[in-house]
Amino acid sequence: MTVEEARGTFSPELVARVEEMAKRYPHRKAALIPAMHFIQAERGGWFSDETIRDTAALFGVPDMHVRGIVGFYDMFHDAPVGKHVVRLCKTLSCHLRGAAKLREHIRERYGVGNGETTADGAFTFKCFECLGHCANAPMMLVDDRKCLDLTVEKLDEILGGLR
Amino acid sequence: MSGNGKVTLTIDGKEVSVPAGVNVIEAARHAGKLVPHYCYHPRLSVVGNCRICLVEVEGMPVPQIGCNTWVRDGMVVHTESEKVLRLREGVMEFLLINHPLDCTICDQAGECKLQDYAVDHGSGITRHEFEKTKKPKNVSWGDRVVFDSERCILCTRCVRFLDEVAGTDEVGIDQRGDSSTLIVKGDGKLTSPYQMNIIDICPVGALTSKDFRFKSRLWFMQFTHTICTSCARGCNVILGSRDNRVLRMVPRVNPDVNDHWMCDFGRLHYAFANDPERLAAPRVAGKGAPYPVAVQRAAALLEGARGQGILAVASPFMTNEELHSLKGLCDALGVEDRYFLKPVGEGDDLLVHPEKCPNARGAALLGFAEAPADWPEKEWGALLYFVPREGADLPEELLERAKKKVVFALRPRDADVLVPLTTWIEKDGTVVSAGDRVQRLSKGITFEPTLLTERVVLDRLRAAVDAEAGKAADTAAQAFTRLCADVPAFGELTWAKVGLQGAPLARQEASA
Amino acid sequence: MKETRVMLEFADDPAQRTLEGYRGNGGYQALEKALKEMKPDDVTEEVVKSGLRGRGGAGFPTGRKWKFVPKGNEKPKYIAVNADESEPGTCKDRVIMEQDPHQMLEGTLLAAYAVGATTAYVYIRGEYMECIATVEKAIEEARAANLVGKNILGTDFSCDIWVHPGAGAYICGEETALLTSLEGNRGYPRIKPPFPAVEGLWRCPTVVNNVETLACVTHIIKRGGPWFASLGCEGSTGTRLFGISGHVKRPGVYELECGKGTLREVIETFAGGTLSGRPIQGVFPGGSSFQVLKGDELDVRFDIDSVAKAGSSLGSGAIAVFDDSVRAVDVALNVAEFYAHESCGQCTPCREGADWVRNMLQRFADGEARKGDIELLMDVTDKMNGTTICALAVAIVFPIQSFLRKFRPEFEACIAKVTA
Repeated sequence: MTVEEARGTFSPELVARVEEMAKRYPHRKAALIPAMHFIQAERGGWFSDETIRDTAALFGVPDMHVRGIVGFYDMFHDAPVGKHVVRLCKTLSCHLRGAAKLREHIRERYGVGNGETTADGAFTFKCFECLGHCANAPMMLVDDRKCLDLTVEKLDEILGGLR
Repeated sequence: MSGNGKVTLTIDGKEVSVPAGVNVIEAARHAGKLVPHYCYHPRLSVVGNCRICLVEVEGMPVPQIGCNTWVRDGMVVHTESEKVLRLREGVMEFLLINHPLDCTICDQAGECKLQDYAVDHGSGITRHEFEKTKKPKNVSWGDRVVFDSERCILCTRCVRFLDEVAGTDEVGIDQRGDSSTLIVKGDGKLTSPYQMNIIDICPVGALTSKDFRFKSRLWFMQFTHTICTSCARGCNVILGSRDNRVLRMVPRVNPDVNDHWMCDFGRLHYAFANDPERLAAPRVAGKGAPYPVAVQRAAALLEGARGQGILAVASPFMTNEELHSLKGLCDALGVEDRYFLKPVGEGDDLLVHPEKCPNARGAALLGFAEAPADWPEKEWGALLYFVPREGADLPEELLERAKKKVVFALRPRDADVLVPLTTWIEKDGTVVSAGDRVQRLSKGITFEPTLLTERVVLDRLRAAVDAEAGKAADTAAQAFTRLCADVPAFGELTWAKVGLQGAPLARQEASA
Repeated sequence: MKETRVMLEFADDPAQRTLEGYRGNGGYQALEKALKEMKPDDVTEEVVKSGLRGRGGAGFPTGRKWKFVPKGNEKPKYIAVNADESEPGTCKDRVIMEQDPHQMLEGTLLAAYAVGATTAYVYIRGEYMECIATVEKAIEEARAANLVGKNILGTDFSCDIWVHPGAGAYICGEETALLTSLEGNRGYPRIKPPFPAVEGLWRCPTVVNNVETLACVTHIIKRGGPWFASLGCEGSTGTRLFGISGHVKRPGVYELECGKGTLREVIETFAGGTLSGRPIQGVFPGGSSFQVLKGDELDVRFDIDSVAKAGSSLGSGAIAVFDDSVRAVDVALNVAEFYAHESCGQCTPCREGADWVRNMLQRFADGEARKGDIELLMDVTDKMNGTTICALAVAIVFPIQSFLRKFRPEFEACIAKVTA
């Protein structure tokens, strides 16, 4: 697939954005990871084989290069996800302030463990390492929204509202 | 400060002078020491990920990897201090904790650097009591290479070879940490015509050859230093055989010819030497005959054809010595029409040469002309024909224009006298490879004990038609000496000078 | 003890993140001064005089790092702002980016001016979505006001700044891994030499600086190196941001001068001591990559060199406190899990060792450790120390070995009793 053909597989808005980003670097490949966030969002929140192929063609790199990036970075998903992605921090300060209990609660109440999606597809739950809000532990990200100083009640209020 | 591009440093208490610009591993090699290494390879970029080449360098606070430490005058290096040995033992232990216990079924045994270094540098016991990481095994990477991810130590030699030497950039890494595993681009099948070199450079059994898989243990094999004869490049190889059958070829290092590599086609092209359908004895008028009968009959045919002209067609798969004997016979018979067939095909910009035969140059030097596109409208009393192993043959109608045919071939065909050809691994001899380099073949197997080489048969034919023919050479080496005296282009060469790495002709070819 | 708010002086004012608000509080005066009254080397000298040490965790003198950039080198030069903040316990760069991003941008431009860089990339970890948005907005405002881009403030100096998001990998906070990631690859650290100042992004000279470091540069140029050096104490000049978290009453980010008290006093004065009122069991004074200090080791003077002498480090300005409501073994396991997950897998000792250490600590946590496991853990971690491409392996060795040494009885209690 040529770059031109690859462009045709994405929305014009995304293509425009990617091309604009590519101009910021002396080498096009540097725009790959920033672009992959937008590509993931446009392609249902994950990287299928097809999306990997299209992305690779868009940047003129082998598909295995893109696959290796999906496999390396925690924010890229190689399997379908729910409507929302919930990232609960599990490291050090959050651990000290009760993250483990919240994890257990999520398993009991919503039936999901690390990496799993709820039966109704509302959200995919991922345990994440330190998310940098240690003074507001425990905390989680729901998509790009931060939810700080969690308690079980607060957690239920947020997750319960997700459809 | 030492001059002339040399650097003086101390390794394990011994002062040694090495070329400037080398790393500590190479410098240690000059001093006769082996610093163990996996990821380092002299022809590939340095990545420093295996960590087993750690050494102590005085003046540096932490141990340094030898592969990325470049020699300086006055450097003092310790490759066997207690600390270094402890760290090496540590790296060995780390490598083995998740490595599967596959030795009993792994082809690499006997040429495995994990085994070798574990014996030399390991602790001999395991302290890891957890389940080993599970990864894909027996993954086909196409029709030639098999990958086992559990055995892989992620040294990335294969990744770098395909990027930097083969130029196909087709292996990468997926996942992170100790889930890391190699992946192939596209449909998961390698495309490079040089892909099998990654099997050689893989230090462990993660990459193995489908062709060689489970054929034999290394220690049951015999190894012969010879060259590949599938094209004019003449890549140096080590041929492995067992019970007089060829099992595999791997490249041998020659900086002037093939460096560390060879192409897959040449590597895999040997089955013909094992072919049970090969001629094992001469035939006269289509029926099996012993050599003396065949030689006598052939001599009579050729002698009888003197008046009507003899066409001699040599093969560019013959050695210089064989061609020299053929020349002698042709001289004795007054043969004017002397040609050779030259199979050609595609070359590339790495090793593959468009001439698909090892010794077209030798044939030319010994007085044979390249066969014309249009043969002269002639008829001959006899044809003396050495059928090329592959890739070219005389047209049928030409064959019909010779009244009698004495033919040397690998497989049965129509002839008045048919003599079996021997293959390159069944004899000593020399050829002239691309770049006008004389290289040696070495005998490695005996396909059939009664077979005689072409040189011996030709010398006997010569003796049968020429009363003044002197005593024939006993060995290929002797024949080579005579050949050098006869052909000025071979200049001052000797069998020993050619050796196992070859030597240039006195005349240099304009283009390789 | 009181906070000394220099970087956070206007952080609570929402207008501070706008260009207008920032300028209204004296912003971009340092840049103007540097471009119009100082030569690039003068800027570097001022930073050297200030005694500024990197705020990302390694504490390397910033002025000295800038001087590594070779002069007369024809290749383009880059600034890479390390905003990958992923060290467990660290949450302070985020505060700067979310609440006062322009001081980081101004510092970036000053650094670029000093070393001759023409482009800067702010590598923000992908999970910091709000930071990314805020910083991008601030850059756009600055660009529109001729503070970023060509001929800044009408001078010959041109420098562009772009945000570059990461995608979730702690290792990308390691400076060479950051560069490799920025180039569009898996975040593998590089062997050194060559060093980034000579061969960094696309093999061009690159200076990698932490967010807070660059924020300090702004204030140093505004008010002078000697002024900065007059704050704090020798070896730990200026002010620093510390995130205090864990089992404390008032977790938060505080801007402090070093050397004005002890670590214990800092925890008690600002964070109010433990939430439970129970004694402190242990403290990570500088993030999870360094040795833990026990509850009775906290009377060390609160500055870089004193804490280093006490066998730990102020690291990335992340103070994580735990009382005895948690087992030391579980804290150690949690830390080991982190590193096992984050190891890039490139080199042998870390790739294999991180997982082995985690597995062994899990055995301790489950009360099933074998006799000799403590010695085994020490030996295995010893062989990871100083033998790897980057310091992630060392970041396992330091805390885990300190736990084994300082909490040995707790670990011994986890050794399974042998049944007769």
